[in-house]
Amino acid sequence: MALRRILVANRGEIALRIVRAARSLGIETVLAASAADRDSMAAREADSVVVIGPSAARDSYLNPRLIVHAATATGCDGLHPGYGFLSERQSLAAMCDEAGVVFVGPTRDSIEAVGDKLSARRLARAAGIAMTPGSEKLGTAAEAVAFAERIGFPVVTKASAGGGGRGMVVARDPKALADGFQRASIEAKEAFGDGTLYIERYVQHARHVEVQLLGLGDGRVLHFGERDCSLQRRYQKMVEEAPAAALPETTRNRLHKAAVDLLAAIRYRNAGTVEFLYDVERDDFYFMEVNARIQVEHPVSEMITGVDLVRLQLKIAGGEPLRIQQHDIAPRGHAIEARIIAENPDRGFAPSPGRIRVWRPPHGEGMRLDTAMEEGADVPPFYDSMIAKLIVHAHDRSAAVERLRAALESFVVEGISTNIPFLRAIAAHPDFLDNRVDTRWLESVFLPQYGQRKDV
Amino acid sequence: MTDIKTQDIEALIEIFDNSHWREMSLKVEGLELFLSKTPGAIAHSSTGHHPADLAPAHATAPSAPARTISDGAKTKSTLAPVPDHWVAVRAPNLGTFYRSPKPGVAPYVTVGQTVAADTEVCLIEVMKLFTSVLAGVEGTVRKVLVEDSELVEYDQPLFLIEPV
Repeated sequence: MALRRILVANRGEIALRIVRAARSLGIETVLAASAADRDSMAAREADSVVVIGPSAARDSYLNPRLIVHAATATGCDGLHPGYGFLSERQSLAAMCDEAGVVFVGPTRDSIEAVGDKLSARRLARAAGIAMTPGSEKLGTAAEAVAFAERIGFPVVTKASAGGGGRGMVVARDPKALADGFQRASIEAKEAFGDGTLYIERYVQHARHVEVQLLGLGDGRVLHFGERDCSLQRRYQKMVEEAPAAALPETTRNRLHKAAVDLLAAIRYRNAGTVEFLYDVERDDFYFMEVNARIQVEHPVSEMITGVDLVRLQLKIAGGEPLRIQQHDIAPRGHAIEARIIAENPDRGFAPSPGRIRVWRPPHGEGMRLDTAMEEGADVPPFYDSMIAKLIVHAHDRSAAVERLRAALESFVVEGISTNIPFLRAIAAHPDFLDNRVDTRWLESVFLPQYGQRKDV
Repeated sequence: MTDIKTQDIEALIEIFDNSHWREMSLKVEGLELFLSKTPGAIAHSSTGHHPADLAPAHATAPSAPARTISDGAKTKSTLAPVPDHWVAVRAPNLGTFYRSPKPGVAPYVTVGQTVAADTEVCLIEVMKLFTSVLAGVEGTVRKVLVEDSELVEYDQPLFLIEPV
């Protein structure tokens, strides 16, 4: 039975995105807002609004009881959690089940199965997906060399008792490993009181690649191609692309199959993403984790496949048969998303909440802006500081990069600091143009150059 | 009857609100009061001087929060303006409002009752978890703003109390 009225348990652009997708399907929306968001754009566009709690997220958006109570008391038959907040909290899905409200997402069992790291690794292993190869604890340098020769150099030693770089030595050949092993062990002993080491394959140039999936709940799982999200700062994605242009076609096909197999095995329902580390030199990928929600960067997959993933989420949750089949999903062109964040890159990326005095977003062919901001709107200090997602689409990657540069160039925001100047510099960097980046590039190559630029 | 107080009129309005009457008009010395549940209704004889702070109960739009839940008429008549020194008891979070400890039992407080700061005035229920709300101020209950078992939002005024 199709959903009739859903509670939108989120804020900002994704709340607005869900409200609009629901409206296009004739589904009513009730927005569960905090006091800070009662006049937000999503609040204006939703059919109704309930203020569930004060501004602090822990007393509003992070309280599943308030949210499910709001859903039942307003007669909702569904609940969309968006991303972040409670979207992957098993307890929210469980409470929805008990209250007779359809959770627009995976089953509680699936959330648990993929949310727990060890359980997710078991699933991946069962689906035949590789993990980063690593050893058990190793007693001597000779043991380490023997293991490294089995999995192949380079390898990195790691302290079994702790992290933070202590006890980590990268070795590219047996002699370097034999020498480094003693040094690493002493360092680990000094840092953690325990010199025990293990080794892992060292991925010199890693890319973050992930596959967008939609499970129908009956064992069928559709994929919508992959994304490359290698541009990250402190594990926070900043620029995302689809497809991952660096992948050879055969690797791409293997990647899709691995992701589909993993989720099909648990009859996964609704939107999910399987994340992998791609080793550029070895042309191989390793399982990282599963995200049991719609993700921030889903629009790049929508742009290349021409589907509306949030609408499909609502249809699947409402039990409507999907007419779309895997062979209908044919990626076209290249899409890039840049996250516009209210922060100051010149001050250690400090958040910059406040009132937006001027807001002149770019317009043009192949441009999309997902945002709930406008001139005069407030960026509250209580939440994540992402204020918009700028998405461009073109026939190939270099045309898309060109479109991104033009869009960022004409994007004017005043009243708060944003990372737009930082994104412009990325979009103009030769390494980005040539797609020669990896997960360390932004912090180890780009940031130092950006800090030394003349026009600060 | 020259010393009619605001709270007397308040009490009349509450009686009217809870009645099945459609209209009520009252004329006493120096005061003419007309109450109607028909929006836009006007008194048939308007010779009296309305006290400045009184408006027909339903003749003005309720001053409810600009956008709240759309289903059902959740706002009762609100008297605007309320004396400045009256204090609103507000909902600590979203939930279902209950005036009594359990069904069929007398409410925690009624209009005209005096309360201490730690007097329980109602329950707010969230997923079968009941939290009691305290008056927070010593004084007299002047108005109950919400119907029993209605959904209330965070910070929504529930009662008006005239402090001592």
